[in-house]
Amino acid sequence: MLIKIQIIVGLLSLILLLITFELIRKKRLREEYAILWLFTGIVVLMLSLWPEFFLSQFFARITGIFYLSAIVVIAFLFLLLIVLHFSVVISKLTNQNKELAQRYGLLELEINELKRHYLPPRRL
Amino acid sequence: MTIEKKILVIIPAYNEEGSVGKVIEDVRTDLLQADILVVSDGSTDCTSEKARAREATVLELPFNLGIGGAMQAGYQYACQRGYDIAIQVDADGQHDPKEIAKLLRALEEKKIDVALGSRFIGHSEYKSSTMRRIGISIFSQVISMIVGQKITDPTSGFRAANRKAIRLFAHNYPQDYPEPEALVLLHQCCLKIGEVPVGMSERYSGESSITKIRSVYYMVKVLLAIFVDCFKKPPLLREEGERC
Repeated sequence: MLIKIQIIVGLLSLILLLITFELIRKKRLREEYAILWLFTGIVVLMLSLWPEFFLSQFFARITGIFYLSAIVVIAFLFLLLIVLHFSVVISKLTNQNKELAQRYGLLELEINELKRHYLPPRRL
Repeated sequence: MTIEKKILVIIPAYNEEGSVGKVIEDVRTDLLQADILVVSDGSTDCTSEKARAREATVLELPFNLGIGGAMQAGYQYACQRGYDIAIQVDADGQHDPKEIAKLLRALEEKKIDVALGSRFIGHSEYKSSTMRRIGISIFSQVISMIVGQKITDPTSGFRAANRKAIRLFAHNYPQDYPEPEALVLLHQCCLKIGEVPVGMSERYSGESSITKIRSVYYMVKVLLAIFVDCFKKPPLLREEGERC
């Protein structure tokens, strides 16, 4: 049973790593997120390679939860944090976007006014 | 009035080509000394052209920001150009420009920072669906409780703001449901609000942004937003002379 889970988790982490590499190569991922996902992939890969060491021995002794449930709990908390982080980032970007649009509109209006005052009317 | 005040009428418009021209003309006939700014919130029709044809200043946003973002851009313009009073009028024609004088008088006489045009004080001929009436009365009670004074029409977008309020709004303006939320913001910043009875007519064209089916959902969302606003840190009031 454990070996099956190990293989599945190992494959998933390899796929995650491959996708991350591809995205980095195509420059579609910012560095900070590239590092985050590479780190995530490597941690998951290690978990699948030596589950006893990482979880049964080390982690279970501290927390008292078993291998599978431990993985689920950790993964869930981790993803929760990432999603929260992204919500913060999106909120900030939305706000910056709004401010840019407003500044753009005001500047455009000002430029048009200046043109009308200081440039001779364009002949067609 | 000893010194003539600089007055700006802000008309936020999103695809309102059918009514914006008429609104501009009405405002101009009733308020000769005011400048008119139409904020075209990423309109895809001829709203800006129609407004320019009637010699209103047009502030065109590159894409749709929603009424909050558009209004804030208008207040930023008013702040930068040093207007003393900014008046908010809807582009769909449901606000009667003849009533602007009442708002201005209230601003002057009652020593308030924002005058709010209310459909529900005094002679009310305004007709709307029962659903909407119930919704507005719930809002009214909640807002009145938070603000600590009677507000009968918190969703009214017919307002006049003085210099102090213009500066506040230029820097901080609620984005999601700006009409009721702005009142909470004003209260947090200790600005004075006053209500003035005005008559409102049916809109010339276009649909209300609130349809019947969505009205309950809308109400819950607005109440939540107001609730969240109560916990927000009030922004610092900027001094005159700071960048707008």
